[in-house]
Amino acid sequence: MCFKNLPIEFDAQGNAQLIGGVANPYAYTPREIKRDKLEELLARNGHIKDVSISPVTRVAGALSFHAVADLQERKFLEANSVATIFRGYEVILKGRDPRDAIYISSRACGVCGGVHSTAACEAIEMAFGISPPPLGTVLRNIALSLDFLYDHPLHLFLLAGPDYSQVVVEATNPAMWEKAQVTDAPNAEVHQFKTIGDIMKGLNPLSGKLYLDGLKMTRTPREAYSVLFGKYPHPQTVVPGGMSSTVTITDFNETYTRLQKMIDWTKRMILLWDDLTEFFYDYNPEYKKVGARDKNMIDLGMWDDPDSYDATYARCNDWGEARWATPGVVIDGKLVTTKLQQINLGLEEFVEHSYYENWSQNGVRFKTDPSGAPLSPNHPWNKETMPRPSKESWKDRYTWSTAPRWDRQVVEAGAYARIWTTAAAGLMPKNRFLESTGHSLKINMPKTMLPEMDFEWKIPDVWNAFERNRARAYCMGYNLMVAYSMVLKAFDYLRKGEDKVSTKFETPQDERIGVGFWGAGRGYLSHHLTLDKGVITNYQIVTPSTFNASPHDPFGNPGPYEEAVLNTPIIEDYSKPEEFTGVDMLRAIRSFDPCMPCTTHIYGGEREIVREVNTCACSAEG
Amino acid sequence: MRNPESAIEMMVLVSGIGYSNLGDMSFGRVLLSTLAEMDWPAHVHVEDLNYGPIMIYQTLEASPIKYDKVVLVGAAKRERKPGTLEIYRWHGKLPEDSEIQARIEEAITGVIDLDNLLIVCKHFGVLPDDVTIVEVEPQTEAWGLEFSSVVAAKVDEAIQAVRDQAFCNN
Repeated sequence: MCFKNLPIEFDAQGNAQLIGGVANPYAYTPREIKRDKLEELLARNGHIKDVSISPVTRVAGALSFHAVADLQERKFLEANSVATIFRGYEVILKGRDPRDAIYISSRACGVCGGVHSTAACEAIEMAFGISPPPLGTVLRNIALSLDFLYDHPLHLFLLAGPDYSQVVVEATNPAMWEKAQVTDAPNAEVHQFKTIGDIMKGLNPLSGKLYLDGLKMTRTPREAYSVLFGKYPHPQTVVPGGMSSTVTITDFNETYTRLQKMIDWTKRMILLWDDLTEFFYDYNPEYKKVGARDKNMIDLGMWDDPDSYDATYARCNDWGEARWATPGVVIDGKLVTTKLQQINLGLEEFVEHSYYENWSQNGVRFKTDPSGAPLSPNHPWNKETMPRPSKESWKDRYTWSTAPRWDRQVVEAGAYARIWTTAAAGLMPKNRFLESTGHSLKINMPKTMLPEMDFEWKIPDVWNAFERNRARAYCMGYNLMVAYSMVLKAFDYLRKGEDKVSTKFETPQDERIGVGFWGAGRGYLSHHLTLDKGVITNYQIVTPSTFNASPHDPFGNPGPYEEAVLNTPIIEDYSKPEEFTGVDMLRAIRSFDPCMPCTTHIYGGEREIVREVNTCACSAEG
Repeated sequence: MRNPESAIEMMVLVSGIGYSNLGDMSFGRVLLSTLAEMDWPAHVHVEDLNYGPIMIYQTLEASPIKYDKVVLVGAAKRERKPGTLEIYRWHGKLPEDSEIQARIEEAITGVIDLDNLLIVCKHFGVLPDDVTIVEVEPQTEAWGLEFSSVVAAKVDEAIQAVRDQAFCNN
């Protein structure tokens, strides 16, 4: 029984049904957000401050953040995450040929468009009743590993990394910088940074070796991606039923060579983030509370097993559990399901604090999923995107992000959720380089210049900003060895003469339903679609940042960014409010890898942090 | 490496910068298609540079060809009268480090923008001193395939300006 809030039970055969005798099983009464007391404190106490992180958006979606900080007690009293732009991909896609979704939805992200293309393809494949040949699946797996080998270094060294650099640490915690300079890095022999201070220097923006190497290293996976898929980040070669790339053994050889180039660098990066994390914990255990929140997370898994994936909803639990990243939901640190159908049934989106109309007046389109299991009126297959721009109000509506919840609980998404569910499930397909133990993921990385090395990401005791970043570093190794394994599989298929990468199809004209269960660099990604007469009648995208940047839900729970900031102690040094930089809060937010880079500065007198944001808009609706 | 057939000619890189389907802001992108179909001497290379400034800097850095001159066409909002066409040699001055960092962060997340390209590529030392910009002031940036009438009226003039600059050796 994976649900404790939704009115769903399972019979002995595992079939889901509504619990009997409940009149309105999905009904709820929204809780009001009360802030009268807070407003009074803000008016009365000089040390209680509004901190607004405001976006200036040039191109796409944007995140801004509002918090109320008690600078005397060194804690946050209120937090609001704000997606400031409506993108409306769902609206754009209505009435179009379903194949358009592959190319249009890709534009939702300027970093990892291919994940949207693939999620769209999987949704279309389910609706069309087709699936790729094995090499087509393997190609997709390689693509979506390479994508993350670009994505994760960007976050670790260019976006989050500078928060732990010399320039930031020295300015916000000078004593820690002093200590870092004389603290030996335990893994210096491998990563070649003698002290923690050296690592921090390496993270300095523009000049640090780690910053520059991180930037440089993004070229290698992008080259391999382009060799196999034509171009990055919006491939034109992901098609329903497989891929349209013409690939030869030479292409795979070129990919293999580039993966080899990344192996030693990845070994170093994992150990480097281990050293940095442990140093912060040792220096001040309060850092374990930065970005802390309940161990609740969600992931749909990805990297299909080419022999299992058939794109059917009826078998989604089987092919889902055969993936190289296992789908799952973790609640209070425990894995409660690995079944894609259950994950899908538990998903609801709420808009009480978002700039959308509730769609319930339009009736419930699907009372059950294709297997006959009960489906909430708030599920994406029943949702309609109805924008309702209105004035920003922390008590009422304040964001363009919806509030997705699973079993009405706040869950976060991320690369770390992917490695967590995979480590906990113990279902990783048998292979040479990766092993899920039920409490860890073992990663074997072959010899190149450095010797063969074994790494083990263990499910952590605490969950916070540092563990998100550390897990992301281990995900580099995880992704790399998935890509490596898939290239070896591709060689096997080619040796056997199985070089077909796509399946023919025709667009059906009757009513169809489908869902793409996939993952972005930042975790969970679903595309739900319905078709009729050969065109899209509804399309709904839920991205990882829709979960993470979500506002309060109608049950009174803050979204993950909000909760993480509320749990973050203010550790930075300041003797007067004007010196407050908000670095601990920013570390908390950035650890989720929001889909936006940002620059921050603070106008001392106004307490306003102005942050220029340019984003791929994964946090915005669709 | 200079082209052996044009050893005395400067190597010139020509491109148009901008997103697709964004009205006047797609000026550079649309003109690039026209420029790419024209005949050019061997020492002038017309390339699509609309795939992100970081990737462009890395491509130029890895390229055996070192360009002596770059000519870029695009649209930029600079509070001029809409439809104003300016042709100028870029000053090549970099902003403060924090601003460079911001442009890099934008670039890595997929932002395609003329100023970003100039700042990022200059910072990483892959631009020659001679960079000429052919730039129009947009009237609209709404989604669409068409230019506003004032910008559409400048297309031929802009193309001629790019050709003049590509053939101009100083």
